Amino acid sequence: MTVKLHRQLALVWLLICLLLVAALFWLLPRSQVNSSVLALLPRQQLQGVPDALSRGFSQRLDRQLMWLVSPPEGQGSAVAQDWLESLRQLPALRQVEGPMDAQHQQQWGEFFFQHRNALLDDATRQRLQSGAQAQSQWILGQLYSAFAGVSGKELAGDPLLLLRGSQLAQQQNSGGMTLDNGWLTARDKQGRSWYLIHAELKASSYDITSSKQIVASLNGLEQSFRQRFPGAEVLQRGTLFYSNYASQQAEHDISTLGLSSVAGVFLLILLVFRSVLPLLLSLLSITIGALTGTVFTLAAFGEIHIMTLVLSTSIVGISADYTLYFLTERRIHGGETSALDSLKKLFPALSMALLTTVVAYLMLLIAPFPGLQQLAVFAAAGLSAACITVMCWYPLLAKNLPVGPAPGLVLIQRWLHAWQNRRALRLGSPIAVMALILAGFSQLQINDDIGDLQALPKDLQQQERQIAALTGQTNDQKWLVVYGDNAEQTLQRLEALRPKLQQAKERGTLDGYRLIGLPSQQQQKEDLTLLRQRAPEVLSQLSQAGIRLKPADLSPQWVTPPAWLESVVSQGWRLLWLSLPDGRTATLVPVSGVHDSAAMSELAASADGVGWVDRKTEFSQLFSQYRVMLSLLLTLAVTLIAGIYLWRFRLPHGLVCLVPTLLSLGMGIAALALSGHSLNLFSLLALVLVLGIGINYTLFFTNPRGTPTTSMLAIFMAVVTTQLTFGMLVFSSTQAISSFGIVLSAGIFTAFLLSPLTLRVQKSGPTP
Amino acid sequence: MRTLLLLLGLLSLGAQAVTLPELQQRFSQQPILRADFSQQRTISGMSQPLNSSGNLLIAQKKGLWWQQEKPFTLTLLLTENRMVQTLSGQPPQVVTAESNPQMFQFNALLTALFQADQQVLEHNFTLNFSDQGQGAWQLILTPKTSPLNRLFRTITLNGREYLNLIDINDMQGDETHVRFFNQRTQPAALTAAELAHFDG
Repeated sequence: MTVKLHRQLALVWLLICLLLVAALFWLLPRSQVNSSVLALLPRQQLQGVPDALSRGFSQRLDRQLMWLVSPPEGQGSAVAQDWLESLRQLPALRQVEGPMDAQHQQQWGEFFFQHRNALLDDATRQRLQSGAQAQSQWILGQLYSAFAGVSGKELAGDPLLLLRGSQLAQQQNSGGMTLDNGWLTARDKQGRSWYLIHAELKASSYDITSSKQIVASLNGLEQSFRQRFPGAEVLQRGTLFYSNYASQQAEHDISTLGLSSVAGVFLLILLVFRSVLPLLLSLLSITIGALTGTVFTLAAFGEIHIMTLVLSTSIVGISADYTLYFLTERRIHGGETSALDSLKKLFPALSMALLTTVVAYLMLLIAPFPGLQQLAVFAAAGLSAACITVMCWYPLLAKNLPVGPAPGLVLIQRWLHAWQNRRALRLGSPIAVMALILAGFSQLQINDDIGDLQALPKDLQQQERQIAALTGQTNDQKWLVVYGDNAEQTLQRLEALRPKLQQAKERGTLDGYRLIGLPSQQQQKEDLTLLRQRAPEVLSQLSQAGIRLKPADLSPQWVTPPAWLESVVSQGWRLLWLSLPDGRTATLVPVSGVHDSAAMSELAASADGVGWVDRKTEFSQLFSQYRVMLSLLLTLAVTLIAGIYLWRFRLPHGLVCLVPTLLSLGMGIAALALSGHSLNLFSLLALVLVLGIGINYTLFFTNPRGTPTTSMLAIFMAVVTTQLTFGMLVFSSTQAISSFGIVLSAGIFTAFLLSPLTLRVQKSGPTP
Repeated sequence: MRTLLLLLGLLSLGAQAVTLPELQQRFSQQPILRADFSQQRTISGMSQPLNSSGNLLIAQKKGLWWQQEKPFTLTLLLTENRMVQTLSGQPPQVVTAESNPQMFQFNALLTALFQADQQVLEHNFTLNFSDQGQGAWQLILTPKTSPLNRLFRTITLNGREYLNLIDINDMQGDETHVRFFNQRTQPAALTAAELAHFDG
């Protein structure tokens, strides 16, 4: 390559960079920074449930908030009313609902009375189906009971006591809560009353900035509430609190870990080169890398996730490596060779290093996590651009770099000399590492449970347990979705599902379920026919028992979905009903105490238009699938690398070159186990990067044109920068990221430690 | 002399006066009570009152077993954690404290009535206890919590050694009188047949 050609290439690259800047300015207004934590999770693969419906439900459910308020001893619901009023002051909340007032209770009763012929409960329907005798006996039982309180007025308006039947059924369904002055109330074992309040967020609970503000103002409200009522207790539940916690952790990680790693890298450069130029050059390649990464990510996804930006700070370390490798070469040999010759000398190693790293990152694309996929594209594009910048521009820009001996050169020479000549080191180190690996693997545990990855704060967990105990409703994100092309089909499918659920409950598959109380038109028609058929007989039997009543009003009293939704009776149930503009409709069936998720999945499959949603189990299964898949891919990659080594270096050196790679992978996992963590998908993803980055060290050494001491210095700096960036992740408070960091850190350090092994044993010492 | 008379008068009064705590104490010393009852319910708008009769059994450690025999058989079993109502020829209706706390709490009052359990009663009613002389007493309960206050106006208990009469006035103007008679506390242990009621 001539100087002229290189100049032209540099110009072309400048042009491309300008185009990229233009592209960024064109893309920015058309894209968004996504700060939703949900976007990081794999898309739900629900069996058959239309995507729009399942997305609609998760968005809606994630907006729900609830509180349980317990007044200080001796005080009543007025304390809960106070909390309710303070919540209503918050502009971020809507539909803050507390007690049902007398007027609503009356409307509630009126609706059921006016539609009693259409809203039959199960027990009444069964009695009517088994014959008039059962219903008339039941009515007599109610009449004679001293405490049932059937009045003359009730009998006159509803001689078949249909309203009474449906209300008794609803009480049975109350899930352990009672109505106290209109408040839904739970009582704990100590006899304390807990009043329920419900609200909805206006914005998504995954919006990072608004979540932070809302949680802060809620905390403020709670503080002043507790001051006003010492001894009062407030429990809260909602996705908001979890996602806010997660994003706070991430923000903390960016600000402390990200900053300290960048600062560390810059400090290292200044120390080694004692010049500002390398610092500026590193900054340039990092900037161009970030620019290119952003443009490609935005072009591919239309958005960039804030977590991608966090994780991509870790790319800083790698993209600085290329600059450092080149600049080290120039600093040491700048006096003897031209800049272009240096590039020629380093080109094979640089390009191979780039290729392996990019391939490693692109392998992350197969994991179904949108965040990681963005990271993969960002890294692959960004690192390529950073490397091209080094190749095209730095021979020109680094002309004025002060030349001088590398610091610590003597130490490096001794270190390499020892590796080449001391069998104790050559054999002992891998054996020592091997022993550590064996120790680690002996206590390795595999855990794909997504729940264990989210280390939730203790007080949130504690509140969650208390709320589950009080309300009987767990927050384990499990439900059935029943869907259809229209409301009627959905309701009919729901009715077909009901007996299956009852059987499953009797078999002990689950403890309970809740169904919306809206019958299909078909069911309402059947019920009316049944009523008309039995009513005369029931009344004549009552008359024989001495109770003469007026005939019942058996006119149709249809309840349509819109009427139901508008009425007060659907309060608290509307959340479970979702209709799309095109008519497709779905309803959620929350279930509790599921003992056999697989059986629930079968149950859903056996019915038309029913999907089983179990986010945790689903994710855990997904995790385990992809963990196995990545293990296979890693094995494949290692085999491929072994093949290339054997082809390039022949036996036995090809095999020796493989040792650092294999042991670095093993050590990454062993360190995980030795530090008490268990293996999951994230550890495997980290291993992919250990392979992709660690192999660079081998490549730098095995570059036949490279100088071992220069390589060693460059590798040393690369390791320090990598440890400064990836190693920092170990200190992340998010367990998934921390274990990711442990694997990377230990693996890459091992790769660095053992990399001199790949130097051929020479007759003489290494040449400086 | 007058002082002595007054003192004697107070003493005799003190010996005879009945108080609610004392009553509760007395009832708690009856581990088992058997009685017959006859009930009359008057529902406004209905030409004739509804009469029924049967017997009941209260065992302090087990609960209440109430059996209506006429005009048809209806059994109500109330224990610490469940309530079972059986109509002949129909599956029993079971209500547990978990599944329907509202109804359960309501029915638990029934046991409280028979045992004059002041604490439970005071939580739901305003109590008005009066000594009627010669060992007779009356307890008028006025509900103060919802939904009881929307159902009942007053519940009045009358008794002497045992509870003899319950009068229920509900908000719709309907009345129920339950008279208890033939109370027996012996044998002091449940018979095998009686024990079976609670296991059922």
